[in-house]
Amino acid sequence: MSSVQSVAPARPNFLKMLLGSPILGPVAALLMASIFFAVMSPRFLSGPNFSLILQQVMVVGVLAIGQTLVIITTGIDLSNGMVMALSGVLMASFAAQKGLNPLLAVLLSLVVAMAFGLLNGGLVTGIGLPAFIVTLGTMNIAYALTRIYTTSTITNLPRELTFLGETFNIGGTAIANGTVLMLGLYVITWFVLKYTPAGRSVYAVGDNIEAARLAGINTKRVLLGVYTFAGLSYGIAALLQVARTGVGDPQAGQTSNLDSITAVVLGGTSLFGGRGSIVGTLIGALIVGVFRNGLQLLGVESTYQVLITGVLVIAAVSVDQLTHRK
Amino acid sequence: MTTQTAGRVLLEMKGIGKSFPGVKALEGVNLSIREGQVHALLGENGAGKSTLIKILSGAYTRDEGEIFFDGQLADIKAPADAEHLGISTIYQEFNLAPNMTIAENIFLGHLPTKAGTIDWATVKKRSRELLDSLEVDLSVDALTGSLSVAQQQMVEIAKALNRNTRILVMDEPSAVLSERDIENLFAVVRRLQASGIGIIYISHRLREIFELADEVTVLKDGRYVDTKQVADVNMEQLVNLMIGRDLEDVYPKRHGEPGEVVLEVSHLAQAHLAKDVSFQLRACEIVGFAGITGSGRTEVARVIFGADKPTAGEMKLYGKPFRPRSPRDAINQGVALVTEDRKRQGLLLKLQVYFNTTVSGLDRLTSFGVLRLQDEMTLVQQWIKNLRIKTPSPEFMVVNMSGGNQQKVILARWLSLGIKVFIMDEPTRGIDVGSKSEIYQTMADLAEQGVAIIMISSELPEVLGMSDRVMVMREGRMVKELSRAEASEEEIMLYAVGHEEVAS
Repeated sequence: MSSVQSVAPARPNFLKMLLGSPILGPVAALLMASIFFAVMSPRFLSGPNFSLILQQVMVVGVLAIGQTLVIITTGIDLSNGMVMALSGVLMASFAAQKGLNPLLAVLLSLVVAMAFGLLNGGLVTGIGLPAFIVTLGTMNIAYALTRIYTTSTITNLPRELTFLGETFNIGGTAIANGTVLMLGLYVITWFVLKYTPAGRSVYAVGDNIEAARLAGINTKRVLLGVYTFAGLSYGIAALLQVARTGVGDPQAGQTSNLDSITAVVLGGTSLFGGRGSIVGTLIGALIVGVFRNGLQLLGVESTYQVLITGVLVIAAVSVDQLTHRK
Repeated sequence: MTTQTAGRVLLEMKGIGKSFPGVKALEGVNLSIREGQVHALLGENGAGKSTLIKILSGAYTRDEGEIFFDGQLADIKAPADAEHLGISTIYQEFNLAPNMTIAENIFLGHLPTKAGTIDWATVKKRSRELLDSLEVDLSVDALTGSLSVAQQQMVEIAKALNRNTRILVMDEPSAVLSERDIENLFAVVRRLQASGIGIIYISHRLREIFELADEVTVLKDGRYVDTKQVADVNMEQLVNLMIGRDLEDVYPKRHGEPGEVVLEVSHLAQAHLAKDVSFQLRACEIVGFAGITGSGRTEVARVIFGADKPTAGEMKLYGKPFRPRSPRDAINQGVALVTEDRKRQGLLLKLQVYFNTTVSGLDRLTSFGVLRLQDEMTLVQQWIKNLRIKTPSPEFMVVNMSGGNQQKVILARWLSLGIKVFIMDEPTRGIDVGSKSEIYQTMADLAEQGVAIIMISSELPEVLGMSDRVMVMREGRMVKELSRAEASEEEIMLYAVGHEEVAS
């Protein structure tokens, strides 16, 4: 340490890390929103309410994991809500109506969701279609398949399918199993993006796919992997959706695609690709959750909640644009 | 040509300074332009020329210093301020709407109206006059998208003249032009000069400066070096001011003898772009690939690197059949390609120095599927030091670096893998003299260590200065191999363009 020349390994300095971090904006927004609602409503700042917020965001939160990866590679996925609905209806029906082993039913529906992801990825890489068009198509296909399969809600689900909606207690606060699963998925995705070559490839492909290929990255495999993994996350979201509502609902997920994009964008991920953070997406999902919950506590109608979410997205992207401009 | 007593001082920039996060881009820079003067702005890439003219044109705002226009203090804060003063800039990338006509482009944003509708008669008449004054024989109704680069440049000039330009800034205007178009450009510049316009002319080509400019201001590392009358200096002195050393030292001396045959290419073809190409490449040697653009050199390189599939022929690497299925496959066998277009095909521009350096060799930095980030950082810092890459930190985004430093990042990427065959496509294009000589030195060191290098280059002095052998390509064919002793600029050009054309 005596030599001026030596480059000391950077000490982990939390404040410095946060200041230079791309998630600074989202974190600040989340804190400010939380403080605002804590001041406005005495019921906001409590364990049970936070647990509720987590439960309210867990479905969109998990959908947004796949969406984040897709968006980092300059794609977009409009199909995720409909794929989730199809997957949810299938798992509910297989287990409750067809008498399949519930775990097998879940597994089969996850495979269906992944197959949709693979199809999206295959069309994007194989034919080179824009992700927007491909997923617009598969969104309609998944929607139609769901309605062809059933138009009625599937009830009387076995306990295995609702387990993730159940709660356990920590210090008097009931926490849903599903929220733990969601947080676990975020940790895994964060780790993969930061600490594995595969994670690096995702960013490389998003920055410049041709340069990535010429740097030795198998770009087709990366894209197929990203879309298939995204499909898996939609299948898991279906599991959470079914568990939370206790039914297989063919009407589920109607606005989930846009909700998940909202979370990703609020989390600071660029729609132009190459730049983005999975932690940011979690925070983005929480920002939406905190606003909806807080406004609800203040007695604001749900239509106005949607309106405010819209304003929020535009404001967040504007701030992002202005701060990234030279 | 030089008239010390040329017109009065039109523009004066004094003590200009500008900082970006982590970089002091300009400090204490002065520039003074007279009416009817061609003033060259000279410096390596990253010396601050672009920053300075962006400040002048209002694209950036300065942090320090003053600007005087016509003796009055001028506070240029936005492009509109510069335009109002009569300062026009023609950047390398033109600012034309391709689907609009020449006349529409000339009047873009300033369309005159008559009784509430656009006065097309005036637009066309005035555009015609401007084109005539530049001796451009084009219809004012032609779409700019259909024009050649040289013609588009003339439209840009006409556009500037239409705004009563008093200072015209031209950023490397000759870089995109052929020899003939350059002559034409010079004639136009001289006419503008005669009409009293002050011209700031940025170029890397020293010859042009001696042909065209009255005065030259040199920048280095964002600082003002000196301003000279062109008549008072010679080329060596200018280079010295720019880089602080002499020109002869640019090409390193090498002594190594070529070793065993590393790569053998036989009858290789790639679609209609490369035909029946055969050659051998030995360890420790640098083979220059000369030829005009489109002669098939890049296509051959891409096939060897596995980026494109050959349509015929075979290759051997160390005597064994070599058929790379992908760039990854080629890299794994020790072949690397430095692409011609650094920004589109080489770098991940919006990602960091460390990311770009290790992206091709992450498997070496992985244990049990997990990246060893600490080891990665050590490796990257080692290469930053070895190649003297100028960057505030390994986390710096490469898009914000100069061309020379960007190219060094690419070199670091491949060198850290220990490659055996190195194909470099225009390795010093758009790179300043200082970085150029460092890249040459790195190439020489690699050859000494046994690496076999193919250098594709359109700069003949570079081909002659660096190559042990020169292969000349024309229309997809390998037309001639020249030894170092045989090779000369004339000889190479003769084969590169073909005897027939030379004769005619």
